[in-house]
Amino acid sequence: MGDKGRGDVLQGTLDMLVLKSLQLGPMHGWGITERLEAGSERVLQVGQGSLYPALYRLERQGYIASEWGTTENNRQARFYKLTTLGRKRLAEERALWARMSRAVDLVLRMGEG
Amino acid sequence: MGTTIRDVLMRIRGFAQRHTMERRLDDEMRFHLDMLAEQHRRAGLSPTEARRRALAAFGGMERFKDDARDEYRSRLLDELGQDIRYAVRVIRRNPGFGAAAALTFALGVGASTAIFSVVHGVLLRTLPYREPDRLVVLWESQPARGNDRNVVSVPNFEAWRSRARSFERMAALVPFPGTITGDPSPEHVMGAEASAGYFEMLGVSPALGRTFASGEEQNGGADVIVLSDGFWRSHFGADRRVIGRTLPIDGRPHTIIGVMPPTFDPPQFAWLTDQAFWRPFAPTDNNRGWGRFLLVVGRVKQGIPLTAALREVQGIAAQRAIEDKGNEGWSASMVGLSAQITGDARLPLLVLLGAVGLLLLMAVTNVANLTLGLIRRREHELAVRRAIGATSSRLLRQILTLSAVIGAVGCVIGFIAAVGGVRALIAVLPPEMPRSDSIRVDAAVLLFAASISLIAALAVGAVAALRGGRNGAASLRESGGRAAARLRGGSLVTAEVALGLVLTVLAGLTMRTFAKLRTVDLGFDSDRVVVARVGLSGPRYRPPEARVAFFDQVLSRVRALPGVQAASAVSTRPFGGMGPASPVGDASTSETGDSVVADVRYVDADLFRTLRTPLVAGSTFDSRDALDAPPRVVINRTLAQRLWPSESPIGKRLHVPMFNGIVPEVIGVVGDVHLMDSRTPARGTIYLANSRFPMDALDLVVRSSMDGASVMRSLQSVVTALDPALPVYWVTPLDDLVGRALSRDRFTAALLGAFAVVSLLLAAVGIYGVFAGDVAQRRKEIGIRVALGAPSGGVIALVMRRALARAVVGVALGTIGALVAGRAMRSLLFGVGAADPVSFVGVATLLLVVAVAATLVPAVRAARVSPLVAIWTD
Repeated sequence: MGDKGRGDVLQGTLDMLVLKSLQLGPMHGWGITERLEAGSERVLQVGQGSLYPALYRLERQGYIASEWGTTENNRQARFYKLTTLGRKRLAEERALWARMSRAVDLVLRMGEG
Repeated sequence: MGTTIRDVLMRIRGFAQRHTMERRLDDEMRFHLDMLAEQHRRAGLSPTEARRRALAAFGGMERFKDDARDEYRSRLLDELGQDIRYAVRVIRRNPGFGAAAALTFALGVGASTAIFSVVHGVLLRTLPYREPDRLVVLWESQPARGNDRNVVSVPNFEAWRSRARSFERMAALVPFPGTITGDPSPEHVMGAEASAGYFEMLGVSPALGRTFASGEEQNGGADVIVLSDGFWRSHFGADRRVIGRTLPIDGRPHTIIGVMPPTFDPPQFAWLTDQAFWRPFAPTDNNRGWGRFLLVVGRVKQGIPLTAALREVQGIAAQRAIEDKGNEGWSASMVGLSAQITGDARLPLLVLLGAVGLLLLMAVTNVANLTLGLIRRREHELAVRRAIGATSSRLLRQILTLSAVIGAVGCVIGFIAAVGGVRALIAVLPPEMPRSDSIRVDAAVLLFAASISLIAALAVGAVAALRGGRNGAASLRESGGRAAARLRGGSLVTAEVALGLVLTVLAGLTMRTFAKLRTVDLGFDSDRVVVARVGLSGPRYRPPEARVAFFDQVLSRVRALPGVQAASAVSTRPFGGMGPASPVGDASTSETGDSVVADVRYVDADLFRTLRTPLVAGSTFDSRDALDAPPRVVINRTLAQRLWPSESPIGKRLHVPMFNGIVPEVIGVVGDVHLMDSRTPARGTIYLANSRFPMDALDLVVRSSMDGASVMRSLQSVVTALDPALPVYWVTPLDDLVGRALSRDRFTAALLGAFAVVSLLLAAVGIYGVFAGDVAQRRKEIGIRVALGAPSGGVIALVMRRALARAVVGVALGTIGALVAGRAMRSLLFGVGAADPVSFVGVATLLLVVAVAATLVPAVRAARVSPLVAIWTD
């Protein structure tokens, strides 16, 4: 927070990132923030205030499912996992993201030879 | 099955405990916070500091919780909305299913609600008096003779009232028919005499004026009256200045002292019917000697058990039996006023309520069946949805939502139908049904309809979820090539048959009862007979000669009317309610050993010929039975056989304690006449000549070839010509009286019959549905059988065998149920046993035929399955 070079996740990409992090396997909310921060080399930071509503929203939409389980430290936590629908959604989002980021990149490189 | 039920229960519980969401949110957040603090601690901070930093980093905890909560809640709401939309979509795509399910549901709810409104109005609504459960009716009783509710004598009433300590008040009532001699024509009106304190005892006050003062009970009772609201409106135009005016009743002016409010609904029981006015009843030396004729109502003091009050009155009755020889063998009995008023109506109404409950069960079974069928048709879809992540609880919720939507629609239609049904029911209600005014569709009835709809919808949902949800939850692979040959919905078939059998047997028993009652030999021929009552009032008819002469004149003029075949008169018409009765005995054996209670009727000599009651022996009255002649009597066959079983009664003498004891000579024996109704067998009856013992009111009995209406007009004009101050009242064809006495049996039989027809239809439709579904489901198997050379007869037999096996189990279960139900309603039956073999065997056969017929179409369809199906179907 406040650190230079670190930033909140772009609006609209959080869902995709959460889905992606769950593609690696079922995980609890804390673990998801860890995965996202580690995966982005600590550039992306996910606030709890947006993570949990996003998780519930994704669950409501049927992209992820949850159940209570035990962590490696033997604590009870709620684990989220990707559903078939979620897997499909992630693929779509990725394709869209690829097209969008390429388009943005192209625009930014205009006239830069 | 056991695990499935537990599974479903757990899911339902989880669904119900939505508030656990809060705890789960807290848990999840605490975990996150702990992990954050742990990270800080590992970075070298003290535990407290780590905690503080973590909390700070976590930020607006409550706001976050709010957001999370919103998401969670809207998820449930969203899903509910989705489920309702899904249900509506399913119903709209299957309009046949939707209509059939909703209408079947509406049928069950509507019929139950309509019958419940009647039950609620008649049996459940409390009486409109202060603390009505403390009000009781007291009777004299003769335990040894099985006579448990007898009217009370004046001295006994006085003894009970003055000696009993358990009662706040006690009051005596007696019907008071009166003739109002006034403009424009004389009118006969029913009122009642009530002892002082009657209105206070009920806890009702007059709308105008006052009720009786206790002084008005002295000296034979003052000529004061209290009017009913209806009479006040119809005869005084609701004039509030009516208090103090006089009304001539039977030629005597009565001072109006009060008017009751429109809400006052006087108790009606025994011979106490409509009451247009009340005058004080006062014990006199005269009426103390009239024998037993009073109705007694009491209010038991707060805190005293009703049984203790009864014991006290029985104790007083025991004292009275010692004090007065006439009370030997007599005791007292008591019944709650509410039970007394509803009386005989209770059991038939409860039977109808039970029957309609069975009908509702059948409707629920059918809707469950239809829903199951629908789920099976959509099995593939359900399996697909499950495979792509729909949870079992979600599918379960969707099935429940579907049945809830059907239930809601059915409830609305059913309730609307019930409103009309109640109106129709009130119109066909037996005329003597007590408290029919208080039958209406109100909040309680609406609540009932909503509750049974909810329960029924849940039942449908539970059955569908348990039996269909399980299959719906099966994997995609399974649902394709189902080989299991189990008949699905088989237990529903059994249930339909069993329920239908119980209902139809009950209907059969009551219809056979009704048929038997109609064929009872009543002892008279009511065809084309009109009866009308004429009451003499005023000083002109005080001399007995004047009364005899008047009726002689009326009868001779009536006999001269065109079309009149015979005309006569009797003190109380047959089927005209209770009349006088007296103990009688053989005068030669003992003067006082009055062994038999006999009905007493005063008649004109021509009565037996007019009613076509056969004269078995001897002769009827003639001119010898004049006012001061030695009394003679005609008795009925039952009494003759009772007193003189082996010799001719003609010429014997009877001892009758009436008229200070008379010993009339028996001159004739006539056939037994049912005096009360078709059910009650004729008991001993004595007929005395009206010319010897002249009454002041008689029923004219006229057999005429003319139509009833013109006979009624001619009777009135004959009487008016003789005395314009005399009213002719209670004019009715005797056929109608006989019919009215059967109205309750007709009502019960007709309703149960209708329920039975509907139940058979429901059973047929339900069974058809199950087997149609079964055959469609097993087309492949059947196709293989046909391909292997099974003859079409064999295929039909295969389907039929399954149907019959289920139906036979249903018949067995239903027979047990019907035996229990039949026993419960035994007192309603007449001429048939509760285990009437005709009804049971007939109905069982009928149900088997229905089951076979309902299976016929699916079976034939199965036989036509092409062997190619075996190849085509996947």
